[in-house]
Amino acid sequence: MKISHNWLKEYIDISLKPAVLAENLSKVGLEVGGYEDFAAKYEKFVVGEVLERGNHPNADRLSLCKVNVGSEVLEIVCGAPNVAAGQKVPVALVGATIPRNQHDPEGKSFTLERAHIRGIQSNGMICSSFELGLGEDANGILVLKRSAKPGMPFAKFLGLTDVLYDMEVTANRGDWLSHIGVAREIQMITGKKASLIRTRIKESKTLTKNHATIRILDEQKCRRYSSRVLKNVKLGPSPQWMQDRLQSVGIRPINNIVDVTNYVLMETGQPLHAFDYDTLAGHAIVVKCAAEGEKFTTLDGKERILKADTLMICDGERPVAIAGVMGGANTEISEGTTTVLIESANFDPSSVRRTSKYLGLSTDASQRFERGVDIEMTLYAANRAAQLIQEFTGAEVLKGSIDVYPKKARPTFVSLRVKRTNAVLGTSLSKQEIISSLRRLELIPAAQTKETVKFRVPSFRYDIAEEIDLIEEVARAYGYDNVETKTRMTVDFSKPLRTTSLQDEIRNYLIGAGFNEILTYSLQDRVKGHLMADKAVEVLNPVSAEASVLRTSLVPGALTVVQHNRSHGQKDLRLFEIGNVFGLRGEKPEKTLDAYVEEERLLVLLSGNVISAQYGSEHRTADLFDLKGEIQALISKFCLDKYRFIYYDSASALIESALAVEINGTYAGFLGEVGKSIAQRFDIDGALFVCELRVSDLQRGWATEKKLIPLPRFPGVHRDLAFVVNAGIQHETVARGIREAGGTLLANLVLFDLYVGDQIGAGNKSLAYSLEFQPLDRTLTDREIDAEVLRIVKHVEATCNAKLRAL
Amino acid sequence: MTEKINQVRVAFDNELSGAVTGDELEQVRVKFLSRNGAIAQLFEEMKSVPAAEKPVLGKLLNTLKNAAQGAFDERKKTLSQSKEQRTRSIDLTLPGRPKPIGTKHPLTQTMDEIKKIFMTMGFSVATGPEIETDYYNFGALNFPPEHPARDMQDTFFIAKDILLRTHTSPVQIRTMEQQRPPVREIMPGRVYRNEAVSARSLVSFHQIEGLYVDRGVTFSDLKGTLVAFAHQFYGKDVKFKFRPTFFPFTEPSADMYISCFLCKGEGCRMCKFVGWLEIMGSGMVHPHVLQNVGYDPEVFTGFAFGMGIERIACLRYGVDDLRLFYENDVRFLQQF
Repeated sequence: MKISHNWLKEYIDISLKPAVLAENLSKVGLEVGGYEDFAAKYEKFVVGEVLERGNHPNADRLSLCKVNVGSEVLEIVCGAPNVAAGQKVPVALVGATIPRNQHDPEGKSFTLERAHIRGIQSNGMICSSFELGLGEDANGILVLKRSAKPGMPFAKFLGLTDVLYDMEVTANRGDWLSHIGVAREIQMITGKKASLIRTRIKESKTLTKNHATIRILDEQKCRRYSSRVLKNVKLGPSPQWMQDRLQSVGIRPINNIVDVTNYVLMETGQPLHAFDYDTLAGHAIVVKCAAEGEKFTTLDGKERILKADTLMICDGERPVAIAGVMGGANTEISEGTTTVLIESANFDPSSVRRTSKYLGLSTDASQRFERGVDIEMTLYAANRAAQLIQEFTGAEVLKGSIDVYPKKARPTFVSLRVKRTNAVLGTSLSKQEIISSLRRLELIPAAQTKETVKFRVPSFRYDIAEEIDLIEEVARAYGYDNVETKTRMTVDFSKPLRTTSLQDEIRNYLIGAGFNEILTYSLQDRVKGHLMADKAVEVLNPVSAEASVLRTSLVPGALTVVQHNRSHGQKDLRLFEIGNVFGLRGEKPEKTLDAYVEEERLLVLLSGNVISAQYGSEHRTADLFDLKGEIQALISKFCLDKYRFIYYDSASALIESALAVEINGTYAGFLGEVGKSIAQRFDIDGALFVCELRVSDLQRGWATEKKLIPLPRFPGVHRDLAFVVNAGIQHETVARGIREAGGTLLANLVLFDLYVGDQIGAGNKSLAYSLEFQPLDRTLTDREIDAEVLRIVKHVEATCNAKLRAL
Repeated sequence: MTEKINQVRVAFDNELSGAVTGDELEQVRVKFLSRNGAIAQLFEEMKSVPAAEKPVLGKLLNTLKNAAQGAFDERKKTLSQSKEQRTRSIDLTLPGRPKPIGTKHPLTQTMDEIKKIFMTMGFSVATGPEIETDYYNFGALNFPPEHPARDMQDTFFIAKDILLRTHTSPVQIRTMEQQRPPVREIMPGRVYRNEAVSARSLVSFHQIEGLYVDRGVTFSDLKGTLVAFAHQFYGKDVKFKFRPTFFPFTEPSADMYISCFLCKGEGCRMCKFVGWLEIMGSGMVHPHVLQNVGYDPEVFTGFAFGMGIERIACLRYGVDDLRLFYENDVRFLQQF
C-alpha cells in the first residue's frame, strides 16, 4: 500500500523528516518497507543559468562559468565539453551529496566541498545525469529545458517533491488502508491532531428522496447505505493535482467522477461506487442476495456466476453491482452520463470475503470491507465525493442525502486494568500514563475507578474489542524498545526435561557410520506417491502436479536423490532420512484425523562401492549383506537382541530379496534390493539396497535402561568348525543347530567362511564357524570342550544332514 | 684360567657378530654380560685363583669385560640405526585407508543448535502431526473464520476441515491440552504453504516454535529469553529490536530483528541494505488461546515464538537457493 507524504499533510501537520517518520511508524507496527525521498536526496541542488562561459586560465579542457543560482551568481569550474552560456543546468551547491561519482570505479557518492581547481576556486558543480543518479550519461552535463527557473530546488523542478511510503499493513488493521488512518497513527507518535477535511456542499432545492429510493433487504450483510445524487455532471478529466496524487499511489486516472470515488477511498478508506443514475431502473437501489446461478457482467467486462449468498446491489429490475466487490457494466459511468448516484455503504466483512474468494476477484473495495470499514464514515464519504464533483464540474447536488442505517452501531467500551496491563507487559506504568498515551489513539476514558479505566473505542478501530487489545495499544504507545529486556528468569524443574530423542541418537550413530543425512519433499507427484502403496493422501488444491500427493514411503524420495547424485558423478552413496510418511486408513479421505495414518520412518540406503578403489585391496560394491550388517548393528545398538529378520521366499517387483524386520515381535519394516524395473524408472542402473523401518517400533524396543552383566572371570575357549551341507540348507538352520546343542556354554557364534567349490563336491557348500565357549563358574578342561564340540557336531550332522569338514 | 678367558672372548665375538636382531642381541647380553653371565662367572672364579696370579689374570679379565661391553654397545647402536633405515623405506606419504564421512543435514544441524540453546534454558521438545484439523491449525489459535488473517498462510486442504498444517503452532494447542502449566516446550517440524516453488519459497519447510506459559510470564521475559537466544546463536555483539506486528494467536505480537551479522548493520546484500534481519515472530499468548485449552488467562500468561529453519540456514551458510537443501547433492551435504 502506497501512502503519499504530501497527501498525509492534508490531515495532519507533519514536521518529521521522512526518514524519521518511517522509522517511527515501523516502531508502532506500521511497517514502512521502503520510500524514496527526492527532496532530501536533492536538498542542495538547484536550477542554475549559465550566464557566461570562459576558458580556465590554467587548463585547456576546463571552463570557468558564471552561474546564476537564483540567490547569487557563482563561479564554477566545469570540465564538460557541452557547457555553454544561456543553458539551464542542475547545480550542486557546496555541501550537497553527489549521488554518484563518475571518477570513482564503484560510483560512490561524495559530499561537494568548495575546491580550488588548477588554482581557481569553484563554488559548486554542474552535474551530469550520471552524477544525479538519473541516467547513465556521464559525457556531459545535463541541460534542462529553457523554461526552468534559476534558483528552483531541483527536486521541485523534477516534480519529485513528494515522498511515497511503501506500507505493509497487517491483516488486523483495515483502518490503515487510507491516508486518514495513517495520519491517526502519526497523531499517536507526534501528538498533533489528525482530522478530515470539512465538507461544504451547495445543495439545490430538489430533494434527493423524491428522486431515488434505497431499500436494504438483507440487513445482516448490508449494515448501512448512504447516498447522494448529483445532476448536470459534466464528464471529463479530473484536475491535474488529483490525477497526480492518484497516480502516485498506483491508481490510474479515468474521469472526474471515478477519480473522485477513488480519491475519497484513498483518503477515508470508505469504498464508493458511482452509478449512472439514468440507467437505474425505477431510480431505485435494492440491496439483496442473488439467485443461485444468476449471471452478471462486472465493470471489467467479465461474466460472473453468482451464488445464493452473494450480496448484490440491484435497481428496480436487475442486479447492478456485486456489493463491496465491483460494479456492473450495465450502470457504468460513461460519456453520456449526466446524473450520478453515489453509493457509500457498509457491508459485512465475512460476506464480502466469501464472495471475493468465490469469484477469485479481489479489489481495493473488497480488501477494505474484508478487514472492516468504519461504519460512521459512509455519510461523510458520500458528502465529500459530492463536494469534490461539484467543485470540478459545477454539478447540482440534490438536497439531502439518503442514509439507510437500520441498526445504528453502538459505541464499543472496553475496560482496562492497570495491574493486569503491567502484569502482561512487565512494566510499571501508572493509570495516568496509560490514559494519556491511549488518548492519542482517540481512545477516550469514559469512566474509571482507582484500578480500572473504561475506554470508548473509536468506530474506525474494528480490532479493539477486549482488554488485551488495549494492552497491545499501551505497549505500542509506550514503545516495545522501552519494555525492559529481562535477563534473569527462574527455571522450573517440576517436570522432567526431555532433552534427547531416539531420532537424535540414530542420526548421530549413522553419521558415525559414514552415512549422509538427506531431507526430501513430503509432497510428491502421483507416480512417486503411489509407488509403494495403493492408497495415498492427496491434496485437494495442489500448487502443481509435482507436489500433489503425500509420500507413502521414504524410498521414492531417496531414489530421486540417488538419481540426482549419480547423474552428477556421485555413485558411492550411503544415505539416510528420518521423516513422516502418510496414508489413508480407510478407502477415502474423511473429515476426522483418525482417517489418516502418519508415521515416522527411518530409511537407510547403500549404493555403489562399500570399499572404494584403493591401493592394497580390491574395491567392492555393496551387496545386501552390507546393508543387513549396518541394520543389525543399528538395531542391536538401540534395541539389543530384541529383533529378528523374517525371510520371504517371494520377491516383488519393488523390492527384490526382501527381508522383513521384526522388533519385539512386531513388524517394523523391510530391507532389500530395489527392483530393477523401479530403479530404471529413476535412470539408475547399479544395484541399490534400502531399508525402511518404523521409528515407533525402534522407540518401543529402545533399551534406555542398562544393567551390567558381570564380565566373565574364567577364560573363554575358541574352536572352529566347518560343515559341508547341501547348498539348499540355510546358514540359519545350521547356526540354530549349533546353538541348540551348545546351550548356555556357547557364548558366541560367528560364520567366518562360506565356500562353494570343487573340493567339497557339486551342489554343496561349506560353512565355517568360530565358536566361543564361556563358562561362568570354572575353567573348562580340554576334555570337557572336546565332549561339547562332539555333541554339537553330532547334532548338526543329524539335523542338517551335514558333514564335519574340519575341526 | 687364561684359557678360559680366551674361550669366553672367542665365544662372545662369534655370537655378537651373529646377532642381527634385537632379540638375538639381548640373548648375547644375557649370556655374557648379565649378572649371571659368563664374564660375571669368570670374576666369581677369580676368587679361588692363587694370589700370585691374581694381578695378571685380573687385568686380562677386566680387559675382556670392557672390550665386550664396548663391542656390545657399538653393535646395539648400529643395529638400531639399521632399523631406522628400514622404517624409512616405507612410503609414509601413502594415503590412509579411505573412510566414508557421515554428515548431518544442514537443516537438522541448524535445528539441533537452536534446540540445544533452548534446552539449556529448560525447554523440552514436543512434536505433533503434519496432517491437522482446521481447529488446531486455525480455530484454537484464534483465527476467526472468514478472516483475512487466514490469507497470511495459504493452505493445502486434504478434506473438509482437514489440512496440512501451515505452521507448528497447532503443537502449542496439543501440548497445552495435555498438561498443566508450567509449559516450556519447543516444537520443531515440517509445515506446508500453498505457494509457487522458487529459489525463495517452497511448498514445505521447517519451523521451530517455542512456548512458555506459567504464572507471571511477561512481555519483558519474552524479550529477555529471545535476546538471550540471539546472543547465543548469532553472537553476543548483535543488536536487536522488537517491532509490533499481528498474529491472531498472540497479543501483543512482535517481530524480532537483529543487526545484520555479515555487515554489522552497515547494510549489505544479505540484509537488503537495511542493516537489520528479521529472525522471528513472537508475542504474548492470546487469552482466547489459553481459554481454548482450559487455562485461566487471569492466572496464567505466556509467550510464544517461531522461526523458519530454512531462512536461518540460508543466512548462516550463505545458501541463496532453498531447493539446494532438498536436492541432497552429496557434494553439498558434505560441506556441512
